[in-house]
Amino acid sequence: MIMKRLMHIFLNLPLRMKFILSFLVVILFGGVLTLTLGTRLEHRTIFSLAQAKVRHDLASAWMVYNEKLSDIRDIIQLSSSQESIKDALQNNKKDVLLNYLSQVKNDFNLDVLNLTDAQGRILIRTSQPEISGDDQSGDSFVSRALRGETITATQIIPHEELMKEKGLAEQAYLKILPTPKAAPSPKEFEEDGMFLKAASPLIDGKGRILGILYGGILLNRNYEIVDRVKEIVFKGEKYKGKEIGTATIFQRDLRISTNVKKENGERAIGTRVSKEVNQAVLQKGKSWIHRAFVVNDWYISAYEPIKNIDAQIIGILYVGMLEKPYIDLRNKVMAKFAGMAILSVILLLVILFFITSSIIQPLQQMVNATKKIADGNLNHKVKINFQDEVGQLGHSFNQMTENLKKANEKLIQWGKTLEKRVEERTNELQEMQDSLIRSEKMASLGKMAAGVAHEINNPLTSILLNTHLMLEKVEKNSRLSENLNLIAEETSRCSEIVRGLLEFSRQNPPEKNFADVNEIINTTLGILENQVAFQNIKIIKKLSLNLPQIQLDINKMKQVFWNLMINAAEAMSEGGTLTIASRISENKKNIEIEFTDTGMGIPKEYINKLFDPFFTTKGGGTGLGLAVSYGIIEQHKGKIEVRSKEYKGSTFIISLPIS
Amino acid sequence: MNGETKRRILVVDDEINVCKSIRQAIESEEYEVETALSGEEALKKDAEKLYDLIITDLMMPGISGMDLLTSLKTVRPGVIVIIITGYPTIKTAVQSVKMGAFDYLPKPFTPNDLRSLVSRALKSAERKTEDSSLPPMPEDLFVMKGHTWVRDEGKHLVTVGILPEFLRSILSIAHLELQKENKSIFQGEVCARITDAEGHVHRVWSPVTGRVAQTNEKLKENLSFLKADPYGKGWLLRIESPDIEKDLESLSPLK
Repeated sequence: MIMKRLMHIFLNLPLRMKFILSFLVVILFGGVLTLTLGTRLEHRTIFSLAQAKVRHDLASAWMVYNEKLSDIRDIIQLSSSQESIKDALQNNKKDVLLNYLSQVKNDFNLDVLNLTDAQGRILIRTSQPEISGDDQSGDSFVSRALRGETITATQIIPHEELMKEKGLAEQAYLKILPTPKAAPSPKEFEEDGMFLKAASPLIDGKGRILGILYGGILLNRNYEIVDRVKEIVFKGEKYKGKEIGTATIFQRDLRISTNVKKENGERAIGTRVSKEVNQAVLQKGKSWIHRAFVVNDWYISAYEPIKNIDAQIIGILYVGMLEKPYIDLRNKVMAKFAGMAILSVILLLVILFFITSSIIQPLQQMVNATKKIADGNLNHKVKINFQDEVGQLGHSFNQMTENLKKANEKLIQWGKTLEKRVEERTNELQEMQDSLIRSEKMASLGKMAAGVAHEINNPLTSILLNTHLMLEKVEKNSRLSENLNLIAEETSRCSEIVRGLLEFSRQNPPEKNFADVNEIINTTLGILENQVAFQNIKIIKKLSLNLPQIQLDINKMKQVFWNLMINAAEAMSEGGTLTIASRISENKKNIEIEFTDTGMGIPKEYINKLFDPFFTTKGGGTGLGLAVSYGIIEQHKGKIEVRSKEYKGSTFIISLPIS
Repeated sequence: MNGETKRRILVVDDEINVCKSIRQAIESEEYEVETALSGEEALKKDAEKLYDLIITDLMMPGISGMDLLTSLKTVRPGVIVIIITGYPTIKTAVQSVKMGAFDYLPKPFTPNDLRSLVSRALKSAERKTEDSSLPPMPEDLFVMKGHTWVRDEGKHLVTVGILPEFLRSILSIAHLELQKENKSIFQGEVCARITDAEGHVHRVWSPVTGRVAQTNEKLKENLSFLKADPYGKGWLLRIESPDIEKDLESLSPLK
């Protein structure tokens, strides 16, 4: 849900933000990952290196320690094998012995150098010759030397024994200082001392043990070994005023010899080992290599147990390297690393800014352009800076705008044409519909007319026959004869009307024949001219002399012209002018025949009904004349049109195709 | 002539008034006229009396005029039939003549029209029996039976002349009137008029539709060619016919 929300917010951000955010996420993720992995790796490398070194240093420290031990052994063994000493012992020359041993003790800086008899009783205590005779056979060194062994090892000597030697109890005495992280201690001070000790029997020529010589140095407050270690291993290097390397000898968990310094610069003797190390080294006898908090600072340290002759753990040898240089090194590397990362991010962001700008700016332009185009400004163009994809997009965009403009213009043009076309088509449709209605009316009228014609012809036959029969019987030129002639004529006229109806009703294809339109006009006019209806009418003929003969039904065409001329005459009952014109149309495809009168004109509302069957404004007409004419012209694939102005007159135009 | 030699004419029309009028118009010493109001009645009467001439309406309920014509011609091929109709078309006219009618008369007509036709019809029959030596007819002709012949000259041009059997019924030809040149003319329409000595005007029908291209002016000067050389010098008109094939379809080719 939240993811969705975040995604939604992200997707709605501006493009530039999207780019930058995406890159940042990638960079940060990558950076953090490499930083973490890198530091961890580097940390491990540095510390494993340090640990390896400290382990090695510890080994070096042991060498120094064991060398010292071996020195003591050599001194004791050498001294014990001196014939002069053996002689002096055998001869009980205590002075000689004391003298000699004191010299050895002084020469080799031994803290203790004592000689016992064959039972282990002290004969000479070099440091305090007054105290002698005490039995040392209980001492593990002495007891084993009595059995002929030469023994060297580290040993803790109890306070009571120290007291017998001069100054050693004081040297060994240590006040136990409170140490953080150390295990709690029940004691407040330490009175025992830790010795590097050797014991060797004095043996005569017969192999009898004459006595035991033993000696050693007290490690408490003796800094020779640790300082040597420091010098040999760490060469006395310092880091920010602090010794890089330190070494310590512990008597059990207590620092008795060390070059680790307290805050005040004093050696940190009297302090104790941390609880952790205590556990691992003193209790479990393991070596412990780790970073450790030593007195007041972190060290990479190595601890190993110091064992006595019976392999009991009695102390610890320690070397340590100050952790700080490594930490600082690590921090330096990390800082460099981070600095590089930050620099890269900044550099990337700058590059990103320019790249996004180069993309977004044209896009922004395009957005603006789109807005302008949407507002109808099709002339607007996008500026193209480079020929990359964005540039190509710009090109395409401009092309599109151009096309759009053209299409739009075309559309407008088309719209105009369409309007015109729709208008034209509407008119055509209207005409077609009118024509269809007319055709239907005519068809039904035709059926009726056929029936009527047939029925009327029979009575007409009777009338005509009988009239003529009567005429044959009456005197010619008599009044009755005149009357009968009139009946005969009218009957014939009826018959003509009926024939007209039949013509109309049949709608059979016209019997087409070559004919001269002018001749048909003249013939028709010839018959009509003398009629009463035409007496007040001036007739003007404007007939083109070079009309081609066209195929048409002459009789039907005559009928059409007849109808139109009669109509014209009737429209001009008060007199007027009938103009009859024939010509070839402008497109040379039709012959046009025009009948123009100067009569009353046709009211607008009648114009559309004019060609309908039975439409009539005259009292006596059948209303068939124009309908029949229309049908005939249609059968000839021609057109008949009327133009009229009320009170000015009308013009009927017939258009007949030439081929 | 006595009553026994009177020619018997039957008038058939479903309207009694028409029948009566026609009877009055042609009844004379020469002709004995009877009427029938339907085709059925006509057939019955003819079976008894064997009329010389039957004038029949075309449109009748029951047996139509055309049916009656066919029936009569099947029984008695020699019977003369004249068709009258109140619903005239050139097509029915041509068709009825093709079916064997002597001629065709559209309603309404005058007594004279009818009398001329009746007289010509009956005389034609007389002559036929009297003298059967008609000039031989060329084989490339089409005929409008009883009226005219037509010869296709190619290029939409035809020559038209009168059949001898038409002239047979006219004893002496007093006058010949031809359609004028350039006039349009239709199949079944009058293309010439012959007036006989008795003053009867006989209409000659055109066998084709077209425009009159040429008239035989020499014939007018010497009418004897009509009978002497009907298929040669006796020709009437040359007609330019745009649709000659269609016209010839409705004509009979010469046997």
